[in-house]
Amino acid sequence: MKALWQIFRRILREQRVSLIRGAFLGFVVLAMGAALLGLSGWFITAAAAAGLAGTGAIFDVFRPSAMVRFLALGRAAARYGERVLTHDATLRALQSLRLQLMEGLMAAPYHRITRLRGAQALNRLTADVDALDGVSLRLVLPVLAGVSGQVVAFFVLWWLVGLPMAAWIFIGFVAGSGVTFWRTARKTVPLSRRAEAAGQALRARLIDLIRARRDLAVYGRLQDQVETTLEAENRRLALRRQQDRAERRAGGALQMLGVLVSAGALGLGLSMAQSGTLAPSFAALAFFTTLSLAETIAPLRRAASDLGRMTEAARRVARDVAVPPPMLQGTAMMHGGPLRIQSVTLNRGVSAVPMIEHLSLAVMPGETVALTGPSGVGKSTLLLAVAGLHPVAKGRIMIGDTPVLDCEEAVLRKVVTLLPQRSALMTGSVADALRLAAPDSDDETLWQVLEAVQLASVMRARQGLETPIGVRGDALSGGESRRLALARAMLRRPAVLLLDEPTEGLDDTTAMRVLDGVRGFLPHTAILIAAHREAEVEFSERIVPLM
Amino acid sequence: MAPGAAMQRRASRLSVLAAVLWPLQAALVAYALGGLLAGVPIPAVPVALAYVALGAVRSFLTVLGDAQSQAAAETVIHAARGHIVLEEARRAADGPFGGAGGVAALASEKLDLLAPFITRYAPARARVMVIPAVILALAFWHSWAVGLVLVISGPLIPVFMALVGMAAKEASQRQLVEIGDLNDLLIERLSALADIRLLGASKVVRDRFATQAKDVQRRTMAVLRVAFLSSTVLELFAAIGVAMVAVYVGFSLLGAIEFGAWGGLTPQSGIFLLLLAPEFYQPLRDLSAAWHDKAAADAVLEEYSTWEAQETTCLLGRGGASLPMRGGAEISLRGCVLPNGDTLHNIEVSAGESVALMGPSGAGKTSALRLMAGLMSPDTGQVRVAGQGLSADTADSWRARVGWMPQSPHFLNASLRENVRMGREGDVSEALKQAAVDEVVARLPHGLHTRLGETGGGLSGGEARRLTLARAIFGAPDVILADEPTADLDAVTAHAVTEGLLAQVARGATLVVATHDPTLAARMDRVIEVGEAR
Repeated sequence: MKALWQIFRRILREQRVSLIRGAFLGFVVLAMGAALLGLSGWFITAAAAAGLAGTGAIFDVFRPSAMVRFLALGRAAARYGERVLTHDATLRALQSLRLQLMEGLMAAPYHRITRLRGAQALNRLTADVDALDGVSLRLVLPVLAGVSGQVVAFFVLWWLVGLPMAAWIFIGFVAGSGVTFWRTARKTVPLSRRAEAAGQALRARLIDLIRARRDLAVYGRLQDQVETTLEAENRRLALRRQQDRAERRAGGALQMLGVLVSAGALGLGLSMAQSGTLAPSFAALAFFTTLSLAETIAPLRRAASDLGRMTEAARRVARDVAVPPPMLQGTAMMHGGPLRIQSVTLNRGVSAVPMIEHLSLAVMPGETVALTGPSGVGKSTLLLAVAGLHPVAKGRIMIGDTPVLDCEEAVLRKVVTLLPQRSALMTGSVADALRLAAPDSDDETLWQVLEAVQLASVMRARQGLETPIGVRGDALSGGESRRLALARAMLRRPAVLLLDEPTEGLDDTTAMRVLDGVRGFLPHTAILIAAHREAEVEFSERIVPLM
Repeated sequence: MAPGAAMQRRASRLSVLAAVLWPLQAALVAYALGGLLAGVPIPAVPVALAYVALGAVRSFLTVLGDAQSQAAAETVIHAARGHIVLEEARRAADGPFGGAGGVAALASEKLDLLAPFITRYAPARARVMVIPAVILALAFWHSWAVGLVLVISGPLIPVFMALVGMAAKEASQRQLVEIGDLNDLLIERLSALADIRLLGASKVVRDRFATQAKDVQRRTMAVLRVAFLSSTVLELFAAIGVAMVAVYVGFSLLGAIEFGAWGGLTPQSGIFLLLLAPEFYQPLRDLSAAWHDKAAADAVLEEYSTWEAQETTCLLGRGGASLPMRGGAEISLRGCVLPNGDTLHNIEVSAGESVALMGPSGAGKTSALRLMAGLMSPDTGQVRVAGQGLSADTADSWRARVGWMPQSPHFLNASLRENVRMGREGDVSEALKQAAVDEVVARLPHGLHTRLGETGGGLSGGEARRLTLARAIFGAPDVILADEPTADLDAVTAHAVTEGLLAQVARGATLVVATHDPTLAARMDRVIEVGEAR
C-alpha cells in the first residue's frame, strides 16, 4: 500500500497539472451527469404539475430546456477532455517511470544489474510498469472525482431538498462503497499476490519445458515437467476463481447499494411530498440525481479487484526507481598513471568471507599483466574492485595518485574501462555499437579499431560500418560479438584497461592477433587481464597467479 | 472457442434478463411520482420496498450472469493454456512461431486478454440485440414522437459504432505494437545496462531513450484521440436523444405541444419515457466501450491460431520415466530421410564402440544424434536400437539408457544438484569429478544448492558445458550421445571434457559424438563422415 502511494506521488509530481485538470474534468462529468438527470426529472415533474394546475402558459420552459441541452453537450465535451488529459498524463507518467527505472538501475549495485540480464526478470519489470497505468486511471482519479461529486451533490441537495435527504444519499453512498471497497481489497490483495506467484511459476516452468524439452525427454522428465506446469496453472485457476468471486460480489454489492440509496430517496421524497414539506418536482429531482450518482461508485469494482495486482507491481517497481546513493561519491580528480593494488582484501559477494587477501601488484602504463588461477578464485572480482564496482574490505587501489574510491563514477570511467566476461550488444549498426563508447569518433578511427580486433575484413565484406548487428547482436557469431565488445572498450582509450577473459570463443591464432592489435591501438595503457587461456598468458609480460 | 460456449450463452441471457427488469422499476417510479402529482395517495414504504425487491432481483441476475461469463472466460483460457503446455511437450523442436519466450508470453499474459472480451463484450452484444428494441416498442406504445426520436438517432449510432470500432481497433492495435516496441527498447537497454555503465554511456543512452519514448507517447496519443473523439460523438448522440425526449415530454405535459402521443401524455408516461431513454443508448455505449477488448482479443486469437497452425516434428514417445530396454547398446540408422529432404548415409554403431560423426555444418550430424535418441523421427527409413525398431512404444525405455550432451545447455530453474540428477537418485560428486567440474562447484557460494536458471547462475560457458557432461554421465548410462562437446572451449577444458567422455568408453559405454574437432575425433575408435547419401 505504501509502495502504491509512493508510485502515485511520483506520477503526481510528474504530471501534477494534467492530472489535477483531468480529475477536475472527471468531477465535471459526474456533476453534469447528476445535474442533467436531476434537472430533467424536476423539469418534467414541474411541467406536469404546471400543466395539471393550468399554469402552463406562465411556466418558464426555455431556461430549463436550454440548461438540459447545455448539460448534455457539456458532459460529452468534458468526458472527451477528461479522457484525453488523463490518458495523456498517465502515458507521460509511465514513460518517465520507465526512465526513472532506467536511471535507478543504472546506479544500482553492479551485482543487481548483472542478475537482471535474464529476459524473465526484465519482462516482469516492464509488465509491472504497464500494470501501474491503473493507479491513476482506475484508482485515484475515479475515487477523487467520485468523492468530490458526492460532496458537491450533498451541499446542493441540502440547499434544494433539505438535510435529511442529502445526508441519506451522501452517507449511504460514501459509507456503503467505502465498506465494500475495503472488504473487497482486503480479500483480493493477498489473493493477487498468490496468483502472481502461481503465474510466475507457470511461466518459468513452461519456459523450462520448451527450452530444455530434449534434455527433459532424454532423462524421462518431460511428463513430470508437464505435470508441474499444469499444477501451477491449476493453482492459478483456483486463485483466479476466488478473485472473480470477490470481484463479482463487490459488483453486486455496489449495484445493490445504488438500488437501496435510490429506493430510500424515493420513499423519503414521497413521504415528504405527501406531508407537504416538499414539492413533488423536488422529490423527483432528488430521486433522479441519486440514480445518476450511482455512476460515481461503479468504477470502485474494477479498482478494488485490481488493487492487489497494482500493489504488487508498485512494490517491485518502487524498489528499482529509487535512485540509490552512488557507491562512488568522492570529488577527487584522476589523471591516469600506474595502477597500484596495495595489500587489498576482497570479500566474496556481499559476505564477509575473504576471497583475496593482502594482494599487492602494480601495472605500469604500457605494461600488460595477466591474473591466472582456477575459475572462482577472484580474478573477475579484483577487476570489478579496480573499476570501483566491488567494495574493498582492506587496503587501497590507486590509479596515479588517486584512490579509485575517491572520485565520482564519471571521472573514474574516463580513466578505467572494464570489459566484463559477458557483454551485451544492442540493435543498431556496427558504428552505433562502437560510438556508444566514444560518440565523437570519426569513421577512420572506427576502422582502425576494427582492424586491431581483426574485424575490419569481416565487416568490409558485409556493409562496412553500417552492417546491422541485429537484436542484442544476434546477427554476429560469438567470436565476432566478443571482438566488437573489445573494440568498443578500446575506443574509450583508457589509462587502465581491465579485460576479463577477452579472447573467449576465438581460436589461438586470432586470439594472439587480437591481443597484439589491442596493444598496438593502446600503446601506453596499463592492461590487466583475467586470463584463462594460453594465448592471454603468453601475451602478457608478467603473470600474477591467484590461489 | 467451444469449451465455454454454453456458459457464454447463459451469461448473455442473464444479462439481457437483468436489463429488461429496468422498465419495471421505471414504471414503478413513474406510477409513484405521477400519483404524487395527481394527488393520489401513494404508499411510500411499499413503493420503496418494491423498488428494492426489483433491484435485488436485477443485481442477483447480474451477479449470476457475471459468474457464468467469468467461468466461461476461465474455462476458455484454462483450456487454451493446457493445450499449449501439452502440445509443446509433444513437439520435438521450436516451430516458426518462436521460442520459449514468445510461447510463454502467449500462454501467460496474452491469453488473459481474452477474459475482458468474454466477460464484457459478449453480454453487451446480447443486450444490444434485445434492449433497444424492447424500449423502442414501449416508447411507441406511449408516444410516437418519442419513438421517432429514438428511431432516428438509433440507426445513426451503428454508423458511428462502425467508425468507432474501426478507429478503436486501429488505435489499440497500433498502440499495442508501439507499446510493445517501447518495452522491447527498454528491455534491450536494461539487459545491456552493465556495459552501458562501464562505457560511461549512461547519459547518452538515457537521453536517446527519453526522445524515443516521447515520440512513441505522442503517436499513441494521436491515435487514442481519434478513438476518444469517435466515442464522444456516440455519447453526444445519446445525450441529444435524451435531451430531446426530455424537452418534448416537458412541453407536452405543459400543453404547449399537442401532437406526438396517442391522445395526450400523462405525467406517468412522461416520467416513464424519461427514465427509459438513457437505457435505450446504454447497451450501445457498453458495446463501444468493449470494442477495445474485442480488438485485443482478436489479436491474441490470431496469434494463438498462428501458434496452433505451425507444423513441427514430434518427439517419439512421451518423454516419461520408463524401465530401461534390454539388449546390447547398438545403434543403426538406415536410409533415414530428414525433414529437409536429405537422406543420411547409413550409420552402424556397435555396443561399446566410440564413434565420431564428422562433416560440414548442416550435413546432418545433429539430426543423426537426435534420430538416435528418438528426439525426432525420420520421414522414411529406420532407426534400430538394441536390436529393436525405435518407435513411440520403445523410445522412452531406450532413452532410459542414454546420456545426452546437447550443443547449447539450458539449465532448469532449480538447484545445480537437481540439474545434474534430473530426477534420478544418487550422489552427483563422482559425475562432477569425472567432468572436471567438481572444484568449480565447490567454489560457488552455495555449492550444489546454487540455483541455476536461464542466466546460468554465474557459470562461464566452459563450466556450463562441463556440467552438462556431468549430467550426461551421471548414473552411468550405457549410451552417450554428445553434440559438439568441445566446440568453443579452450584447450584445457576441451581436454578435460574429452577425457571425461573416454572414461565412459573405458567403462564399456557406447559413445557417439558429433564434432568438428579433429583432436577429439582422433581419440575415437572410428570416424563416420556424415553427408547426403548419393
